[in-house]
Amino acid sequence: DSLLGEVLVVELNTAEPWPENATLYQPLREDQILLSDCASSLAVQAYLRMCGLPVRVCCRANAEYMSPSGKVPFIHVGNQVVSELGPIVQFTKAKGHSLSDGLDDVQRAEMKAYMELVNNMLLTAELYIQWCDDTTSSEITRPRYSSPYSWPLNHILAYQKQWEVRRKMNAIGWAGKTLEQVYEDVSQCCQALSQRLGTQPYFFNKQPTELDALVFGHLFTILTTRLTSDELSEKIKSYSNLLSFCRRIEQTYFEESIGKLPLGVIV
Amino acid sequence: KQSKAYAKFAGAPLKVHKITNPWRSPTGILPALKTREEGSFSQPSKIIIQLRKQKYNADYDLSAKECADTLAFVSLLEEKLLPALIYTHWVDAKNYVDVTRRWYAENIPFPLNFLLPNRIHGRQLERLRLVRGDPTLEPGEQLEKELYHDALECMTLLSQRLGSQKFFFGDSPSSLDAYVFGHLAPLLKIKLPNGKLQQHLNSLDNLRQFCTNILVLYFPSESREAPAKKVSNHADGGDFDNEPHKRRNQILSVLFAVGAMLGYAFLSGIITIKHTPARLEEPHVDEEEEEED
Repeated sequence: DSLLGEVLVVELNTAEPWPENATLYQPLREDQILLSDCASSLAVQAYLRMCGLPVRVCCRANAEYMSPSGKVPFIHVGNQVVSELGPIVQFTKAKGHSLSDGLDDVQRAEMKAYMELVNNMLLTAELYIQWCDDTTSSEITRPRYSSPYSWPLNHILAYQKQWEVRRKMNAIGWAGKTLEQVYEDVSQCCQALSQRLGTQPYFFNKQPTELDALVFGHLFTILTTRLTSDELSEKIKSYSNLLSFCRRIEQTYFEESIGKLPLGVIV
Repeated sequence: KQSKAYAKFAGAPLKVHKITNPWRSPTGILPALKTREEGSFSQPSKIIIQLRKQKYNADYDLSAKECADTLAFVSLLEEKLLPALIYTHWVDAKNYVDVTRRWYAENIPFPLNFLLPNRIHGRQLERLRLVRGDPTLEPGEQLEKELYHDALECMTLLSQRLGSQKFFFGDSPSSLDAYVFGHLAPLLKIKLPNGKLQQHLNSLDNLRQFCTNILVLYFPSESREAPAKKVSNHADGGDFDNEPHKRRNQILSVLFAVGAMLGYAFLSGIITIKHTPARLEEPHVDEEEEEED
């Protein structure tokens, strides 16, 4: 019954090729988008470029509300709307595009594990720094998040979001951490990524996979975003192979649009 | 400070084995866990990082890449498997009522046995809601389907990574093995009415063998061997007499015990409660608590 339904959906998807007018939605680049959303969006863009699938980037103030799961970015392809990297990878796979087909079982297990590492540590750290560090939250995050709205909606939305994120941090045991500990976690994560990457061009040697896209999205965004302190980007800079990894992907896949990359230079 | 911690640590293995047969007396677990918790880590993965920092490294034979892999797979377990385990023990109606709550009713003194399980049940559901980002989540087929799908995939990935090896990184166990064991063993041991996760685990021969292997080596069923003897007997491929290996084996035996107990205690939500039911502790543990580090 439901399995059959899934099979039917997959078949419908594979019937249609990737259209020219596929669109990716994210919050406003200059004033609104936050570090974590920017990283997620860049990861998806990198992935699609690596697959050779064209996509237009569209900035909308209410992107978060338009998304089916409440998370950005999401893509609008044909008459389908899919959000977040994981489901988007599945979606493109159903259409016959995949970066990880060449991996064996052990490698695929490792790839998924490392993607979870990035989600578990890097993304959570970004969320923590944005919303749980009082300085960052009041000086950067809340003003940015609420910039498209007028008073009093802007305050209400920003505080509501902050409350949600803080509750989640509490649930997963991050609420008791200090900023120093979070930076330390980021360092551990980067060390693991750096060790895994070694001297290879990509994580699974010659060809990039969704893991490379995800890591690039987060690391590049952290490196190019100005926060209240440089400590986060300094952590990454101490790993030279990660730096050259980011540069390599930027040059290979984004070379014509470096100016258009979501460089959220936040003061 | 380092030596004091080491002394406590070295002393710990003996205490751990003496107090607990994890499947029988989880109340005995609390004291040991409490001392671990003083370092304020409430997540097993943080324990591994903390242990490494203190140079109690059961993984020093691992290459840099293997150490990185450990961190990655621990994340995988926490993100994909743990929510489903929490669900199956605490939120799934049948399992919760027939097994988990009944165990509490029978083994924990009044009046906690009435108050605690429900409270943990509520908290775990709340936690799942927060983690999934959906405040309207209800236990039911849809949620179960999603969680179990992730968990089954996770178990399959672990099985693929393990392959035909005895342990995840070759012939000797490491902290990752302890961690995986800690999560999977309760599934094998505790019979649940709604046992989809168990079924899948049983179908993955190498994972099931892996767990049984460790159970036999590190938790010989009801035997009451002298703790000291037990600790030094654990070596599995490697010199027993060699000083670094002996220490490593001690560390490993602790890790396995801690991993198993943490896995179980985490599932039972004991860790997440701030005011642990201190009244349940055995008296002889008090001296452990006193030592602030």
